[in-house]
Amino acid sequence: MSSGFSGVLQLTDLDDFITPSQECIKPVVIEKTASGTGSKIKIQNDGSYVQVNEGGDTEKLRRVDISLSDCLACSGCITSAESVLITQQSQDEMLKVFQNNKQLRECGKEKESKLIVVSISIQPVLSLAARYKLEPHDAFQRLSGYLKSIGADVVLDMTLSEDLSLLESETEFLERFRSKSGGSKTCLPMFTSSCPGWVCYAEKTHGSFILPYISSTKSPQQIQGTLVKQLIAKNRSYQAANVYHVTVEPCYDKKLEASRNDFYNEQEDSRDVDCVITSIELEQMLMSQNLSLSDIPPAEVDFPWLEGSSSTEPCSYKGTLVRHRGTGSGGYADHVMAVAAYELFGESSAQLNFKVLRNPDLREAILEKDGQVVLRFAVANGFRNIQNLMQKLKRGKCPYDFVEIMACPSGCLNGGAQVRPEEGVQQKELTTQLEKCYEELPIHTPKSNPLVQEIYANFLGGMGSDRISTSLHTAYHAVEKMNTALNIKW
Amino acid sequence: MLFEPYHLTYVLRLIEFPKHDIPFADCKQPKLQLVQVLSGHRGRVWNVSWHPGGNILASCGEDKTIRLWGTEGGPEGKWVVKTSLTDGHERTIREVAWSPCGNYLASASFDATTAIWDKKSGTWECNATLEGHENEIKSVSWAKSGQLLATCSRDKTVWVWEIAEEDEYECAAVVNAHVQDVKKVVWHPTDEILVSASYDNSIKMFRNDPADDDWSCIATLTSHTSTVWSIAFDRTGTRLASVSDDGTLKIWRVYLPGNGEGIGLPDDIDPRWKCVCTIVGLHSRSIYDVAWCHQTDLIATACGDDVVRIFQECPDSDPHQPSFNLVASSSGVNGHHQDVNAVAWHPTIPGLLASASDDGDVKLWKFLEGEL
Repeated sequence: MSSGFSGVLQLTDLDDFITPSQECIKPVVIEKTASGTGSKIKIQNDGSYVQVNEGGDTEKLRRVDISLSDCLACSGCITSAESVLITQQSQDEMLKVFQNNKQLRECGKEKESKLIVVSISIQPVLSLAARYKLEPHDAFQRLSGYLKSIGADVVLDMTLSEDLSLLESETEFLERFRSKSGGSKTCLPMFTSSCPGWVCYAEKTHGSFILPYISSTKSPQQIQGTLVKQLIAKNRSYQAANVYHVTVEPCYDKKLEASRNDFYNEQEDSRDVDCVITSIELEQMLMSQNLSLSDIPPAEVDFPWLEGSSSTEPCSYKGTLVRHRGTGSGGYADHVMAVAAYELFGESSAQLNFKVLRNPDLREAILEKDGQVVLRFAVANGFRNIQNLMQKLKRGKCPYDFVEIMACPSGCLNGGAQVRPEEGVQQKELTTQLEKCYEELPIHTPKSNPLVQEIYANFLGGMGSDRISTSLHTAYHAVEKMNTALNIKW
Repeated sequence: MLFEPYHLTYVLRLIEFPKHDIPFADCKQPKLQLVQVLSGHRGRVWNVSWHPGGNILASCGEDKTIRLWGTEGGPEGKWVVKTSLTDGHERTIREVAWSPCGNYLASASFDATTAIWDKKSGTWECNATLEGHENEIKSVSWAKSGQLLATCSRDKTVWVWEIAEEDEYECAAVVNAHVQDVKKVVWHPTDEILVSASYDNSIKMFRNDPADDDWSCIATLTSHTSTVWSIAFDRTGTRLASVSDDGTLKIWRVYLPGNGEGIGLPDDIDPRWKCVCTIVGLHSRSIYDVAWCHQTDLIATACGDDVVRIFQECPDSDPHQPSFNLVASSSGVNGHHQDVNAVAWHPTIPGLLASASDDGDVKLWKFLEGEL
């Protein structure tokens, strides 16, 4: 596997023979400038086009640039558009911003410089820890040290956003389940939405049929984006557009997610996440500087969440690396099922045992009450299991209430852009090692986090506030298949 | 190349097909005798498949229909259309395949679906549709056990389907090993090994890994210099024939770990496939299909130069460097008038062969051995 995308996105490459540079079918608006008659267009030696007007003056013609969000809105090629990705969401682009910031500060133009915030999700930490044979917590701090050494002002973990994402998923599921029990037409099963590879596949391939089943809760990456661009920016007196927010993720699919128009604030001209870099890109960056992560002096991970707040309640997990119960992809099925068992059926200590079904990437847990199955949850990873789930749903034979879906086999710990195994080591062995590492981290529960209450009460304006749906939820859009001359065949 | 080759229809034949030299001057030459022309399809016929019992021939084509042919008045009688299946697909039907038990017929279509037909209700009906491929499906094949089915597509993937219960097919694997359009999938005659041929010029073999119940590539066969259109195993499963757009027919032989021939293996578990024979210069265009008869060991090829050719292994040939003779071909007035897309040997009558062509006809041939 050479691509950093999940296998699912590689599959949605709808036309195998075109690359965007050759055959992009996306109509683009071209700004017309008045051109005098009689002008000629010449091709230069470097392949660029110039316009020669009557006076003999030359003017370089602009190339039409296709952005990643154009690609997302198009039913044509998508993942072959890596050249598009590279221009917007790459280590080079990130380093350029870092460099630029440094220069501004060196020239004393501190005010023009940006606040650079990097948020690190847990899977890349474990991937890099395994790569450099470090303890996870040590790797986390050294990663923080490295990012700060190249220009990051603030380095964050994503536990708070993960907590919010789990809590919102829980609320959403309970609402859907109760309203269905109440007889209204609600879409169950509810499918998780934190995997952008799966969401993108659903939008492109199954369209409006499937979208109502997908949880509207934002992924931790995008919740973090909202918190950084609104809360932290405000606390530090920055405009959202002057905060450059980078996330570190296990998969290229996250770059596509960050590029969605839903996460772009037009008024402030700001994206919630400006750039996504992945485990494998961090490894490349270190390698290009001949560095090992173990050479880097550690630095604290920042904890700016209580700035500007009166709360004094201690956060037990502050400064440590923690995990959620359940899968290494965020533990959605475990969390929501445990809460649902209690809230809906009064089972406070139900043994929720996810049993392997057809293959290790398809697991199921049930809650029985008086001999009846009252809840049926599943974890489905990888394309084949997603595929069977979709077919079952279409035939009305999907027995689940909730499914945690990730595009990569084994979920996010085996994300498409995690560091590759060393020579002689199988991908599966490495994934097993990362899973074991994850298991050993201390468990954290969203409700035990005092910051969560703080966020709901203050930042979001209290329970039931409209701000919750705008800040923590999103929407999906079916992509209509375009019929172009290229794909109309006999 | 964006399309399934919409073969250029020049009539000009630049290379005159070389006449085969018959070693014995006074023998009666082996020949391919036309038995019957089965007309009825509108437009090109893509594929033909014999029912394992031998009494039904299925054909399919760009008219989106499947025709089931049978004999009239006993097994020696004339072949006539018995049934036309017309409502299964929205686009060209590229391939049809009978299940080993003969109760099911699978059809692969450019509409990105595979339909499974059966006669449980008394008439042939489509009772399951396999959805999931992104675009045109090129080939479909049943494993010997009848419990697994494979399909491949222009979307570059190979899918393995498992029969979960009556008329329920579940996707067991999506294999992303080829870098281009996959043209053909074929199962090994005895083992659960799947083989695919692609526009990326390679042939790949896959096997189930019980550790995670997924399918992984165990061998990549490279030697062809252009699209590999089709592949066929011999009756033992130790040899594979492949045909390509490069105009060659290749024979591959398997070398198991610890073989006495000193053929190095990539690792100690998987067998290695080696190309032991290449037949060059006899086909003047792309070769689209190959069939290896499990009764007579004859090899038939379907070629873009409109000719069906029959190859026979030389009796004294070295198993590690075998040689094959072209013993008969379908040239002349009886032959197809356009590209031959498929060939299939009858499962029980030795020497009976069906061919399908762009000229809209299916033809039945009888291979007659030469006599001294």
